[in-house]
Amino acid sequence: MSANLPMNLEAILPPERTLFDVPGGSKKRVLEFFSTFIAQNTPSLDSQEVFSRLIGRERLGSTGIGNGVAIPHARDTHCKAPLAGFLKLAEPVDFDAVDGEPVDLVFVLLVPEEADDTHLALLGQVASVMNNAETRQRLRKSDSQRQLYDTLLDAIRREGGDTP
Amino acid sequence: MDSINTLFLFSGLLIALSILASRLSAMVGLPLLLIFLGLGMLAGEEGVLGIQFDDYPLAFLIGHLALAMILLDGGLRTRLKTFRVGFKPALSLATLGVFITSALVGVIAMWVFELTPVQGLLVGAIVGSTDAAAVFSMLSGRGVNLNERVGATLEIESGTNDPMAIFLTIMLVELLVGDIGGVTETIIFLITQFGLGLVIGVGAGWLIARLLRWLDLAPGLYSLLALALGFCVFGVTSVFGGSGFLAIYLAGLMIGNQPGRHLNFILPVHDGLAWLSQIGLFLVLGLLVTPSEMLEYALPASLVALALIFIARPVAVLISIKPFFKFRWREIGFISWVGLRGAVPIVLAIFPVIGGVENASLYFNVAFAVVLMSLLIQGTTLSPMARWMKVEVPLGVTPERRGPLGILPENDYEMFVYQVDNEDLDDVPIRLLRFPSGALISALFRQHAMLHPKGSTRLRVGDVVCVIGRTADLPALNRLFNGDAKLKQERAFFGTFTLDGDALMSDVAAAYGLTLSSGEQDMTLGEFVSLRVGGHPVVGDDVGWHGIHWVVNEMEGNKVTRVGLRLYH
Repeated sequence: MSANLPMNLEAILPPERTLFDVPGGSKKRVLEFFSTFIAQNTPSLDSQEVFSRLIGRERLGSTGIGNGVAIPHARDTHCKAPLAGFLKLAEPVDFDAVDGEPVDLVFVLLVPEEADDTHLALLGQVASVMNNAETRQRLRKSDSQRQLYDTLLDAIRREGGDTP
Repeated sequence: MDSINTLFLFSGLLIALSILASRLSAMVGLPLLLIFLGLGMLAGEEGVLGIQFDDYPLAFLIGHLALAMILLDGGLRTRLKTFRVGFKPALSLATLGVFITSALVGVIAMWVFELTPVQGLLVGAIVGSTDAAAVFSMLSGRGVNLNERVGATLEIESGTNDPMAIFLTIMLVELLVGDIGGVTETIIFLITQFGLGLVIGVGAGWLIARLLRWLDLAPGLYSLLALALGFCVFGVTSVFGGSGFLAIYLAGLMIGNQPGRHLNFILPVHDGLAWLSQIGLFLVLGLLVTPSEMLEYALPASLVALALIFIARPVAVLISIKPFFKFRWREIGFISWVGLRGAVPIVLAIFPVIGGVENASLYFNVAFAVVLMSLLIQGTTLSPMARWMKVEVPLGVTPERRGPLGILPENDYEMFVYQVDNEDLDDVPIRLLRFPSGALISALFRQHAMLHPKGSTRLRVGDVVCVIGRTADLPALNRLFNGDAKLKQERAFFGTFTLDGDALMSDVAAAYGLTLSSGEQDMTLGEFVSLRVGGHPVVGDDVGWHGIHWVVNEMEGNKVTRVGLRLYH
């Protein structure tokens, strides 16, 4: 799989999709917020479709992976190329995560229907970026959108350097 | 008078030294039994203390007593729910497996020592049974947690294979001294041994368990009553020609699986008794052997031991498990390696001496050497082998201490003590913790002082927290207090994402773009993984499918409730 690493995270996460101080409320509200946002950001996407795909995935088991991190992900028919978004919530929300802790760092991944291997490869990259305790701490301490994006980019690059 | 004082001094000294040496074992990774045996030999006739001890009948008696106590404790500790995956393979190993091991070792011993077939087989029978107590004390001491399939199989095997080895030994001894009749008589002997052992053990065990639960005794008396009645079961079964060892193991099993407050008094005492038995038994056996005599047999006995470890055991495991049960190759490999021999062979080797078999010292010294080699070669390599063979499952955080409150006799509350070492809990107010609804933090200790925990109290790393809750709250509590390192380890093993076992395969396939065959459409994920594993899944089983490792993460009975997705290799 690593031979044709199709696309790296850096390329699919532009600064404008790194969102700071997002209102929380509930898991559903957070996913709704992202769906609405991404549909405005990428006109080919339909907010209802994105939302129902993401929530459908959550029904199989929470994407809250612990340490206050969630990685909601789904395939989407209208999605042309993989895209990612990052949300730092103003208040942690209950995400039904594996360790039971509320979530405040949300990394969303959407991929086209045909991109199955890419899907798994990207998910693996996101997971290893968010697995780093120092990265999580720095993300939590970021106090502006710019700083949040830089921290994230830095972490992605460092993680990318590790993998062959 | 003098001899009594010496007895007190020496027995006290040896036992105390053995216990102190157990710390050494944990540090160096040397099997404990080896240390006890070594101390016994050091104290013996050719050692430092020079104690003369050649009383085989007394050693025989101590051996029986100690084995009975060890088996009773083993039964008490075996959870019946592990029988779900472990019982049938263990039974196959305990019967067919012991038979094959004994036969193969017998043939080799025949050739090495130039013995007759019956004599050779006697050597095989003596070293035929395994000892799991040694295995589990080693593994848990090194923080290795075996997957349930392997763990349960080894544990139940060692509890049930002693009767088979004992039966074969007695039979062959009687054959050698010419006491045995025809084939039918032998078969009837076998059937009564197993049949009576089974019936009396289970029946009496059930009654004793009821009695213990119903009686209201002083706490210290429960364990004594269990021990006394256990001995009665052993005696009665043996008198009627059944296997007392099998019966007492099964009685322990029945008692240990009857929940109630009495168990909390019984288990710790029997743990101590089992230790005392192990120490006493090995010290006595160490005293009994004459090292210089054993050295005469050292070379040929080593050949037998190596043949047992590298040929007989692996072949026996392969034949008695692989055709009948869905074990992975690495599980077969590990079970083959963990054919650790313990006290039973040495005790069995006293049978020919007592029975008056010609050349009896050969059996004793060979058995002794085989056990020594097995402990040295297999015992010292257990944990690296478990890692290498990948039969481990990561063990999450468990309470540092737990104990029943003793207020509600039936469904009691327990106190769980946790130390906060999860960085993510640092500075988090208690009211924000996702606490199981029935449980509460009753006290919080920080820097040697007790704080009164309120919702607004913020936790610190290093705090010690006392939680009152029920056993059912444990998984949630363990998850809550799981440190970051543990969580990371679990994620590396089970995968980053976790899916419900109840999720429909069609939905899972849609989420990840996987193709299903028509029969798989209507299955749940749990059923699918179960099927791919080959039935009887255990936590840690994984299935490679579509570039993802689907790892069984949580089970309820025979049902897979959570499945991990491990993405990269």
